[in-house]
Amino acid sequence: MQLTWKDIPTVPESNDLLDIVLNRTQRKTPTVIRAGFKITRIRAFYMRKVKFTAEGFEEKFQDLIGGFPNINDVHPFHRDLMDTLYEKNHYKVSLAAVSRAKTLIEQVSRDYVRLLKFGQSLFQCKQLKRAALGRMATIVKKLKDPLAYLEQVRQHLGRLPSIDPNTRTLLICGYPNVGKSSFLKCITKADVEVQPYAFTTKSLYVGHFDYKYLRFQAIDTPGILDRPTEEMNNIEMQSIYAIAHLRSTVLYFMDISEQCGFSIEDQVKLFHSIKPLFANKSVLIVINKTDILKPEDLSQERQDLIQEMIQGNSSIEIMTTSCHEEDNVMTVRNKACEKLLASRIEQKLKGTARVNNVLNKIHVSRPTPRDDIKREAYIPNAAKALTKYDVNDPNRRKLARDIEEENGGAGVYNVNLKDAYLLEDEDWKQDKMPEILDGRNVYDFLDPDIAAKLQALEEEEEKLEAEGFYDSDEDFDSENEEVQEIQEKAKWIRDKQQMMINSARNRKALKNGGTMPRSKLTKSFNELEEHLDSLGHDTSTLVNKKNAKLSANRYKESGADVVYNETGPSYKKQPAYKTDRLNDGVSDGSLRSKTDRLAKLQRRERNREARQGEGDRHATASLPKHLFSGKRGVGKTDRR
Amino acid sequence: MKPLQPQNEYIEQHIKQHGRRLDHEERKRKRIAREGHKIAKDAQTLKGWRGKQFAQKRYKEKVAMKKKIKAHQESKVKGPTEPLENNDEALPTYLLDRQQTNTAKAISSSIKQKRLEKADKFSVPLPKVRGISEEEMFKVIKTGSKKSKAWKRMITKHTFVGEGFTRRPVKMERIIRPTALRQKKANVTHPELGVTVFLPILSVKKNPQSPMYTQMGVLTKGTIIEVNVSELGMVTAGGKVVWGKYAQITNEPDRDGCVNAVLLV
Repeated sequence: MQLTWKDIPTVPESNDLLDIVLNRTQRKTPTVIRAGFKITRIRAFYMRKVKFTAEGFEEKFQDLIGGFPNINDVHPFHRDLMDTLYEKNHYKVSLAAVSRAKTLIEQVSRDYVRLLKFGQSLFQCKQLKRAALGRMATIVKKLKDPLAYLEQVRQHLGRLPSIDPNTRTLLICGYPNVGKSSFLKCITKADVEVQPYAFTTKSLYVGHFDYKYLRFQAIDTPGILDRPTEEMNNIEMQSIYAIAHLRSTVLYFMDISEQCGFSIEDQVKLFHSIKPLFANKSVLIVINKTDILKPEDLSQERQDLIQEMIQGNSSIEIMTTSCHEEDNVMTVRNKACEKLLASRIEQKLKGTARVNNVLNKIHVSRPTPRDDIKREAYIPNAAKALTKYDVNDPNRRKLARDIEEENGGAGVYNVNLKDAYLLEDEDWKQDKMPEILDGRNVYDFLDPDIAAKLQALEEEEEKLEAEGFYDSDEDFDSENEEVQEIQEKAKWIRDKQQMMINSARNRKALKNGGTMPRSKLTKSFNELEEHLDSLGHDTSTLVNKKNAKLSANRYKESGADVVYNETGPSYKKQPAYKTDRLNDGVSDGSLRSKTDRLAKLQRRERNREARQGEGDRHATASLPKHLFSGKRGVGKTDRR
Repeated sequence: MKPLQPQNEYIEQHIKQHGRRLDHEERKRKRIAREGHKIAKDAQTLKGWRGKQFAQKRYKEKVAMKKKIKAHQESKVKGPTEPLENNDEALPTYLLDRQQTNTAKAISSSIKQKRLEKADKFSVPLPKVRGISEEEMFKVIKTGSKKSKAWKRMITKHTFVGEGFTRRPVKMERIIRPTALRQKKANVTHPELGVTVFLPILSVKKNPQSPMYTQMGVLTKGTIIEVNVSELGMVTAGGKVVWGKYAQITNEPDRDGCVNAVLLV
């Protein structure tokens, strides 16, 4: 929670605010516009001005509203303090006026931007802008009083001492002129004014000091007069709120010399009337100015009067001091701090929530006994026999610490880790083991079972030798040639297979080129023939067939043909392997005429529309003259 | 320990404890003495917007000063400024007929007054208005998929559209009155009381430009509108509460974004 408000931005006066925002608009928006411009541009120009000004105002107001604390969100102490100092309602109304002005300005800007969208001329747009800014200015001018008030509040709020309501606090209160400020001056470094007249202190002052390495704050309050709270003025109310809201030790100051101008009876009366505020607080009555008059020198009735104050409440104590002579000041302070700490701890313990928080997390389970047998904890005998370790006992156990002492103490003695090794033979413990042998790490070649393995191998070898496994035999000469022949053939087959695989791979490898579909690859008849030959087929029938086809397909000219087929397809000599696509699959003349008719029918529609077909090839000029000649004007290079 | 931050009225306290700097009074006196020079320098050197602001401020100050001087001088003049009436002292003869007006003169003036009043019935605060051409009043809106048709019009002035008005189907609508430019209320000034009230408009009585505009409810300078004055609590001679009253528009609504009118009483 915020305790100080030192960085609230300054609140300008309404006139200044107007100047700031309008100036900004003038500086940060374009200024040149002419009637000859497009109307959309003129509208945008003025709309921008209106919007920009409105935004400027909104921003300022937002900062203002955000900077001031919300009086309902602060600590009750600060809330009441602000209420007495600044009048809560006035404060709220002022902030509300600012926020209302903000919404009004937003509304004006919206309205006029809408009207500007229908602006017909530069003059009209300008007038509309003028009207909009004028209305905003009127709204701001009406904020004159709230802004002036808020500026004052800001200044005062920034100078308020930073009082933390939750920290350790000593609160000094009492009648005016009883020596409260001088006590604060004695115990802290606070620069408080001390004057020999009543109401020198008109507001709360804070000083800090340390006690038992803890930071305490001491608060000096203005004097209180004994009258009903409704009649109290703002200065006294500050003290009342401090007493009411701060968790603290209250030091009630009294002046029994009556130099302050108030009698002892009055001071006792005031104590009793503000007593209800001391609930849940530790209270210390401090009798000041003992240098002038000691309490022992008082008449008996008056002493009784003072003693009466602490009756009925054992926690209240009376102490005496003299700030003038700085006598007993520190004892009073320390006593108050002790009381405060004690009461704070007490309150902490009282709060059940904290204890419960821990208790909720703990659960001790006790199983219900199933029979009467006692099951006691098992303690090993060795542990039982162990005598309790005692430093003074001469026969005590020897600890690692003792060994260290014997061998030169810390820093000299080095613990021998080898002592704790678990090995087969105790003697091996201290052996030195080479880490590197012949440039090799020994541990890489360690095998714990090497002896057993070697044993097993040797036994196996002996057994094999005994069985005659290693005896040589020379009786496979006869089968030798046959086997060699088979091996040769197998080798040839393997080679052939490898070659085929390689050639297939070569074929398939793209090698930066496209693959042709198999159907589109042309292979000459010679290639086919060769291939079949290599496979061992007889190709003579194929060759015969080919020759027959060639002779059959050759066009034989006759007189009748020449007369008949003048407009028909030209019988140019075609290569034998190309198919005649015009006549393929056409068995007789009737079919021929039918296909002709169909083709014509299909072409008719396309010709009628005169579409550009795939056959219509056209190469455009690479340097079109009309695009690259003549002078260049305003147009672009590609459109002229 | 960190030194404490100043608290509460530390400035006043400091002055109380240590006093002001020794030459404070002298500096103050000198500053006041130099003020005239500073103003003269500002008046000569400030340019542009700041110069304008300065001049305005200076003008206001001068007016206030002159008024003050005048009031001061008047207070110094001994005796009442106007001669007391009916102080039961005999007046000299040459002063006698100054107070009483001639009866004949009175009659003639009363006749003149009556004539004026009769003419007044038909007079309005703004008797003449600027003519507005159709080009200014209407904006042609092109329609059709090729934007080739131009029979639609949009009114560019502010209009009053009655409460129960429903637009024709968009396709048929010849004249568009944009919603953004519709006005429902007007700032009406009562000329005698000198107060201005924001009143709802009831109807457009007459637009001096053209009867067609009256029909369409166009609000231009000089248009007579009917406003709802029930808020003002006016009473007729017969004792009835007046509901509607005529008012004349005194500004160009399309330039100010609002309607200002003066009540015709």
